[in-house]
Amino acid sequence: MIKELKSPLRVVLDNYGRINPESIEEYIAQDGYEAVGKVLREMRPEQVLSEVKASGLQGRGGAAFPTGLKWEFTAKAKAAPKYIICNADEGEPGTFKDRAILEGDPHKIIEGMIIAGYAVGAHYGYIYIRGEYLLSINRFNKALKQAREHRFVGEDVFGSGFNFQIEIHQGAGSYVCGEETALMESLEGKRGNPRFKPPFPPSSGLWGKPTLINNVETLANIAPIILKGADWFRIFGTKECPGTKVYAISGHVKETGLIEAPMGITLREIIIDYAQGMRGSKFKMAQVGGTAGAILGEDMLDVPLDYASLVEKGLVLGSGAILVMDETTCALDMLKCFLNFFKRESCGKCIPCRVGTEKLLELVTAISRGEGKEDDIDLMLHTAKVMQKTSLCALGQSLILPISTILKYFREEVTEHIKGRCPTGVCKI
Amino acid sequence: MNTVNLTINGKLVQAEKGSTIIEVALANGIKIPHLCYEKGLSIAGTCRVCMVKIKDRPGMEAACTTEVVEGMKVITSDEEIDEARKLIVELILSEHKHDCLVCESNGQCELQDLAYDLGIDRILFPVSKSVEPTEDSSQVILKDPNKCILCGRCVRSCAEITVQRVLDFAARGSGTFLISGLDQPLVDTDCVSCGACIQTCPTGALTEKLARFQGRSWEFRKVQTVCPYCGVGCQIELNIKNDKIVKVYGVEEGPDNKGHLCVKGRFGFDYVHHKDRLTTPLIKHNGKFEEASWDEALNLVATKFKELKDKYGSDALAGLSSAKCTNEENYLFQKFIRICFGTNNVDHCARLCHASTVAGLTRAFGSGAMTNSIREFERADVILVTGSNTTETHPVIGNYFKHLAAYNGTKLMVVDPRAIELTEYAEIWLRQKSGTDVAWINGLMNIIINEGLYNKEFVENRTENFDEFRKVVSKYTPGKVEKITGIPEEKLIAAARMYGKADRGSIVFAMGITQHTTGTDNVLSLANLAMLCGNVGREGTGVNPLRGQNNVQGACDLGALPNVYPGYQKVSEAKVRENFETAWGVKLPPKDGLTVVEIMDAASKGEIKGFYIMGENPMLSDPNLNHVREGLENLDFLVVQDIFLTETAELADVVLPGVSFAEKNGTFTNTCRRIQLLHKAIPPIGKSREDWKIIMEIGKRMGYPMAYHSPREIMDEIASLTPIYGGVHFDRLGEQGLQWPCPSREHPGTPYLHKDKFTRGKGLFTPVDYIPPAELPDEEYPFLLSTGRVLYHFHTGSLSRRSKPLDGIAPEGFLEISPQDAEKLRIKNNGWVRVSSRRGKLKVKVKITHRVDKGVVFMTFHFAESAVNLLTSDALDPVAKIPEYKVSAVKIERI
Amino acid sequence: MKLRNKEKDVIALLSKAQRENKHNYITEDKLKLIAQEAGLSYGEVYGVVTFYSLFSLKPRGEYIIRVCDSGPCHLMGLKSIFEVLEKELKIKVGETTNDGMFTLEEVSCLGICNEAPVMMINEKVCGNLTPQKIREILRELRKKK
Repeated sequence: MIKELKSPLRVVLDNYGRINPESIEEYIAQDGYEAVGKVLREMRPEQVLSEVKASGLQGRGGAAFPTGLKWEFTAKAKAAPKYIICNADEGEPGTFKDRAILEGDPHKIIEGMIIAGYAVGAHYGYIYIRGEYLLSINRFNKALKQAREHRFVGEDVFGSGFNFQIEIHQGAGSYVCGEETALMESLEGKRGNPRFKPPFPPSSGLWGKPTLINNVETLANIAPIILKGADWFRIFGTKECPGTKVYAISGHVKETGLIEAPMGITLREIIIDYAQGMRGSKFKMAQVGGTAGAILGEDMLDVPLDYASLVEKGLVLGSGAILVMDETTCALDMLKCFLNFFKRESCGKCIPCRVGTEKLLELVTAISRGEGKEDDIDLMLHTAKVMQKTSLCALGQSLILPISTILKYFREEVTEHIKGRCPTGVCKI
Repeated sequence: MNTVNLTINGKLVQAEKGSTIIEVALANGIKIPHLCYEKGLSIAGTCRVCMVKIKDRPGMEAACTTEVVEGMKVITSDEEIDEARKLIVELILSEHKHDCLVCESNGQCELQDLAYDLGIDRILFPVSKSVEPTEDSSQVILKDPNKCILCGRCVRSCAEITVQRVLDFAARGSGTFLISGLDQPLVDTDCVSCGACIQTCPTGALTEKLARFQGRSWEFRKVQTVCPYCGVGCQIELNIKNDKIVKVYGVEEGPDNKGHLCVKGRFGFDYVHHKDRLTTPLIKHNGKFEEASWDEALNLVATKFKELKDKYGSDALAGLSSAKCTNEENYLFQKFIRICFGTNNVDHCARLCHASTVAGLTRAFGSGAMTNSIREFERADVILVTGSNTTETHPVIGNYFKHLAAYNGTKLMVVDPRAIELTEYAEIWLRQKSGTDVAWINGLMNIIINEGLYNKEFVENRTENFDEFRKVVSKYTPGKVEKITGIPEEKLIAAARMYGKADRGSIVFAMGITQHTTGTDNVLSLANLAMLCGNVGREGTGVNPLRGQNNVQGACDLGALPNVYPGYQKVSEAKVRENFETAWGVKLPPKDGLTVVEIMDAASKGEIKGFYIMGENPMLSDPNLNHVREGLENLDFLVVQDIFLTETAELADVVLPGVSFAEKNGTFTNTCRRIQLLHKAIPPIGKSREDWKIIMEIGKRMGYPMAYHSPREIMDEIASLTPIYGGVHFDRLGEQGLQWPCPSREHPGTPYLHKDKFTRGKGLFTPVDYIPPAELPDEEYPFLLSTGRVLYHFHTGSLSRRSKPLDGIAPEGFLEISPQDAEKLRIKNNGWVRVSSRRGKLKVKVKITHRVDKGVVFMTFHFAESAVNLLTSDALDPVAKIPEYKVSAVKIERI
Repeated sequence: MKLRNKEKDVIALLSKAQRENKHNYITEDKLKLIAQEAGLSYGEVYGVVTFYSLFSLKPRGEYIIRVCDSGPCHLMGLKSIFEVLEKELKIKVGETTNDGMFTLEEVSCLGICNEAPVMMINEKVCGNLTPQKIREILRELRKKK
């Protein structure tokens, strides 16, 4: 069980740690599957759609696309059959919220998927779970079996005539499969290469059919929204970004773990109020949103961590991972680590990302050994910028962010390496 | 609205809705650099070189993946775009081997051009990849992984054009690499050596192995012509240096092949320059050939034929024309035989392949050719392929079928006694016992009628004799059919429903249907089936015989047949004959002549004395070879005109060296009636002469001077005498050719026949009853022998056996036998056996395979070393006189 | 039928084959069978199996030690973890010990970053690693043998 830090607010994690995740009875006792019941008995699909739209819920996988709109696009698509996919291929380093939900409250996901299926007119759902998440897979399997036994999943759910099947697909080790189109390729049994977009999944997704794909956390918000209403949901968070967010905090803080907090909380609040402050040394930087996320320096400690506020600054909230680093950390060494990750996880389909990730790592490695040239920094930026403009998917497009933000704050530290010295002593020169 | 208006670099252009920016730009002559995009393949969007900007949209988009919309304003180049492109190319160059000095693709390398266009004059990133060895296991394809840019065009062409799916990518990220099979050498994979991957490769990663160091791209003279092998009629581009063909590419605009070729078309051209080519006339003295001058040889030929004609009469002479030769040559040949020999004893190998088709379809529809066009297959809902091992005999069409099944939702239904490759792509495969075709077709129609799936309106309005036909068909219940054919009832019912319910059903067949004593009956039955379901006269339907030789359709069209003049005009009709007599200025014989097998019979009986064979090799191709030899040896005078000293030529008294397809102008007519232009690419080898010129010379010496200056003039004469070719003139043919019937200069040609009316008026249903094959296995000869071809060879192998890569891949013949029978006979794979029939015997190696059923064996007829036609039966179809190659009884002994 | 009739199942089939193999890998024969079962070509199935990092075409140890080298684990002292493992096992990343007991692999984030640095030994997660803790874990496993 992942430690959940003091979180007074509970939308997504309300059952987390409080019920036995392997018992459907305990879930039902907490009003579980009531949202499905309500939807199937009392609501037309359009009403479900408008409730989700009214909630202002945004995709919690990182892209923050309005969930209601995505549902509507899928509902309006003409082709059949349609599919629901729950994206449980959580792979963004520093992120462990989806795993917590899957392992702590799997039925909530099943409920979300059924409601989504009803709303968009799909009768088949897949959940794509990372192959490394063995416990998640086991828990979800059990939950699914129970849900089938209770006739929540299968034929004629709640006697409504609505059929909905769910199938688990286990990943086999690929970060890029978290990208929605790569995930679909993988689900179809292919190499996990992202597809070019458009077409977008709501018109052409799995096997070219209309497909709604939502992140685990997004789907976990659905049942509460249906039961308590969009207005209740909007109490939390900001106007642009309603609701709560589950943040995952790791690194040089006293307490690491999960936090459910209203959208718009600041980094300083998270570090001090939830994580009990820094471990020893002073705060140097934090990376928000996973390895593809931006580096935030001290000047950003009071920026609200919600989608809209960060986008305004040219940054992203991403998955909500927060990696806090103190002054013993070498910025260049971390950059090397990030680039190593990108190089290993690039699918290799498009040229800029396939070769670019390799060349960037070569450049940073050379600098970290004291073998760099002054021009290398500009070459890195130029390469990353071209990758941002031309790469096929977000993997290649987004690594400009950690590179440019590290250089924004610590260009001098990087230059020191070129001169033959690692200021923190981390790099062996 | 189906068109959209947009601007590209300020230029206003119109485009079809749904097209992509790159398609529109290229169509309008606007260059957008690209590597992974190629017309005809699916879009990958991986190279990111074609990035463009679109006004009012953020960033850049790939021109190959972005659809055009109304009002779009596209910018294809500015500083930012060019910088991005440059970096991408610099990234590629950092993992590319730079040996342009000796690279086969130098001068036609898309990467090289791109680097040049972008002005890349520095090395931004050093090359950091280790050098991998080149892979040269294939006879024809050289794979250099160090030059691969992973654009995926080869992977897609292998998957989408050939549908062989040998090539793919392995690993991922910067470790991604191109593999074949399970990362095996190509030779160990399912690669069929079509070379589509080479044709599409933008760099030197995949090249023609045998063309290595034979010429640089800029040294080649390029000549567009037509492939000399099968009847698909693929257009090819010969790349020639110093009058030698070095490489062949498929012509993208080729109407029936769209750039695709098979291994024979792409790599099997070297026979043209083979050392065995006949370079001078030969005259036999005391059993030995001696070189002779053309005058000597031609005079001798003319004198001997004249003597024989004077002594024994015209009908003691005969000629075999050639489906390998041009339309113009076939026209001249039959004209020569009819005038100078004064007989209608002229035939050619169509007798052995599709005589029954011509007889059957002419009777049912009024026209004996493929009713529809090759590229119409994509309009069909169901394609019924029977008696055609299409992927080996007509690979470009066979692969197209695979493509349609895999990507177009077309349902394939295969009816074949062998587990041919297409069965793996078929929704339904019916495995009938050889020679029981009438029974299963009748059974299918019985079900279709009983279930009310037939097209009553079509039957009523456009056909006749339905009731008589129905009576016979009603006897063929599924149970009865199962007993005869071995096809389980329920499978037959499923097949009947599939074909019966299809809006557009297309029937495709070849020798498995025609080469039977009931060949004509089989074809009539297929015609019945198509008419029953209204599948004639519409796009994507029809009854489609796949013709074997490159110009067998043309040889038939132009009257190289004993009973018809050019255009299927009957010799026996006085008015027709008068027309030709007037045009040619001679009296013509009124009696139908003899067919191939009848000529051989007559020769062995001493009734035929002189024989002129142009470009045919009956000593391997005809049934019951011992009997053929007897006939040919019994002749007084045999002239063979060929490019090699074939098994037949060896028996000749005079051998005249003709030329290959590359050395002449003219036209070929392909299987879907398309007349296409050949272009002379190289001068005749040695003293060999164009065949049409040789015929003229003999004609002149026999007292009928012909003075054509070119094949073009001959075609003009053909057009004036042949209504179906009435509008065919060289100046009209261009790249797309013309499909007959094309009665007048203004006529655009005919993609599919019998549109509103059958050629004969109404379609004729013919009641046909099942008759068993002439010779079935018995105690003494317990196996049923069937014959056919393999992918790598053609016909009697005169050409393909003399191609280094083709004979290298498939150097020997074999006998296919089922594992059960092999075990019973205690034969091992590759072990030797003696196969004998009532007519002859031979030795051959064994290949144990599930492709053949128990009790059945299969051999090809390409190999002189194991000439299967020593065994085959010369029992004939009574109407079409086609021999029953597909069924004879043999015994097998281990040696 | 060669037409990708069961393509969707190919990853599950590969996973199953690997799980059932006592050396934690997929043999060439098995790979061929799976290709046929799924309706894929050899090239296609090879492309798939080599794309995903959890699959191996080489025999591996009884215990597969997967060490996370992503940001949080890197930050929290990953280097020393690798050093200890390589020294204790006398192998490099990607290799298997001579006794066939251990294979050492690098993986991307395992989603247990709150316990960084972490590794997985087969299905078991081990977090808050220190050199001492690793030595103990290895000792335990060796003792079991």
